[in-house]
Amino acid sequence: MGDVYNFNWTDLGDLAVGRPNLGEETSVIVYRLMQYTFKDVLSKEIGKQRAVELFVQAGLLAGKEFCNNVLDTSLSFNAFIADLKDKLVALKVGVLRVEEADMDQLKFVLTVAEDLDCSGLPIFGESVCDYDEGFIAGIFEQYTGKKFTVKEVDCWATGDRTCRFEVKPIEG
Amino acid sequence: MDANQVLVEISTCFKEAMRNGIGAEGLSFPFDPEDIVDDGLKDICRRLSAVFDMINESYRYAELLARGDLKAQASRTNIFAMPLKGLQSSLAHLTWQANQVAAGDLSQQVHFLGEFSNSFNLMINSIREKKIIEQQFKLITEVLGEGVFLVDYSGKIIFSNPESNRLLGYSSSEIENVLIQEVIHKQQLDGTLYKPAENLLFDAISIGINYDDEGAFTCKSGFLMPVTIASRPVFKDEKLDGAVIAFRDITEQKKYEQSLETINKLLETQATTDALTGIYNRVKFDRTLITEISKAERYSSPLSVIIFDIDHFKRVNDTYGHSAGDNVLKRLAKLVGANIRETDVFARWGGEEFVIQVPGVSLAQTAIFADKLRSKIEEFDFSEPERITVSFGVAAFQHGDNGTTLINRADKALYRAKENGRNQVCHSE
Ligand SMILES: [Zn+2]
Repeated sequence: MGDVYNFNWTDLGDLAVGRPNLGEETSVIVYRLMQYTFKDVLSKEIGKQRAVELFVQAGLLAGKEFCNNVLDTSLSFNAFIADLKDKLVALKVGVLRVEEADMDQLKFVLTVAEDLDCSGLPIFGESVCDYDEGFIAGIFEQYTGKKFTVKEVDCWATGDRTCRFEVKPIEG
Repeated sequence: MDANQVLVEISTCFKEAMRNGIGAEGLSFPFDPEDIVDDGLKDICRRLSAVFDMINESYRYAELLARGDLKAQASRTNIFAMPLKGLQSSLAHLTWQANQVAAGDLSQQVHFLGEFSNSFNLMINSIREKKIIEQQFKLITEVLGEGVFLVDYSGKIIFSNPESNRLLGYSSSEIENVLIQEVIHKQQLDGTLYKPAENLLFDAISIGINYDDEGAFTCKSGFLMPVTIASRPVFKDEKLDGAVIAFRDITEQKKYEQSLETINKLLETQATTDALTGIYNRVKFDRTLITEISKAERYSSPLSVIIFDIDHFKRVNDTYGHSAGDNVLKRLAKLVGANIRETDVFARWGGEEFVIQVPGVSLAQTAIFADKLRSKIEEFDFSEPERITVSFGVAAFQHGDNGTTLINRADKALYRAKENGRNQVCHSE
């Protein structure tokens, strides 16, 4: 066919209709099973570096869509972060906490405890929350209208107990 | 070294630490693993030595965190330090949250930190409630329709509500931090400046008592606004902190009071004035006579009355018409009015009859005075007719007199003057 798929929030389906008995939630094992098998297959097909880049890219799209469909971008920054934190807890994504926020330069240090992607993982010696990096960047981009780069500097998989992300705007 | 010796060495080291603590030196692995000959055992000892290093590092790391150093770091592979890293990130977040709260962000909540979460969230809720009360207070002052100031005990304005700004013409930033007694309430309603001890509102603020009165506030324009002022002291920890002052513009009320006063004066004048001549009427004359009689009775001071009547006035009306007659009455009233003292009370008795109270003057003196009036009238040009004459009766107060008896005696004297041929003064005995 050669055509592309464009994600649409409604493609997530109507869970009330579709899963009357099993409901909205699933197990983290299943989520991780999909994520890490994707990583396995993709890294073998296109190389690990490229696979990681694609995870970040997908996360970015997810973050923007999540921001558009779930969050209230009309809120002030403080209220927005409080709302984001509540939503991430409610959806069991993780516990978001702000460690530093420089509102002038839009530089932030955030932590996510009990992160969906990595908490409880063995120590790989490298951070694994590539998808999260994109996800956070997507949310910030959608809220501020500026592009952001997000780097996971600490991760459960690097021996920390929370994932720590440095968030800063891309200059220019 | 065999395995048994290795275990004994390590055990000794632990025994020491379990008695004395790890201390500043830390645990030191009792020998160099590289000295072990057996490769398998060497490998085990290397790993044990690495565990020793991790224990030392996490111990120091914990010490730094315990001192509040949130920049402390432990290596990524240190498995003992991991829970502490979780604690460190929580503390870093809490530090940020506390700063946010200090900056006014009350959306902060702490999750999943046990008791601490409850305490922190309770604290936030109570700050929120206080903020709500503060907002409600502000809202109340806004809808109140009265000016409200919050001042400290020195009179410095800390808060002014929109109504006070509207009334006085200041913005909040212009008026806050100024001393109320130096800018707003420094003048009395008549414009004179308060002397230091006279400013009762300021006194009430500085000593912490209630104050309710009318006064004046100076607007930004300089206009002096009449206001009602209510001031109540505010105490913090049982110490005087300042006062809440509510005030209302009473310019309209004052105007109303003044117009009421004017109307009352007018009504009073109308009730006591003779409409034609503009001098007092009989009502006023009777009223003042009562006062004068009681004075004369009390102080035994002389009091005389004169009653006089235009001779042949009917002829004036018949010959020249009623308006000419009225003119004669008016001119006569003016002429006599110009020749009496301020203390004398001059009134129209009715028709062409007039009366004068002459307090402090004896009968004889009053008769002389009356005769002077008589000749002035006789010589005066009334134009239509040119000449008129007047007959006078004079009487003086006697002990036991009332208004009626006194006037009656004067009236009898007047009657005699008429009998005797008019244009003359007669007095009672
Ligand atoms: Zn992670």
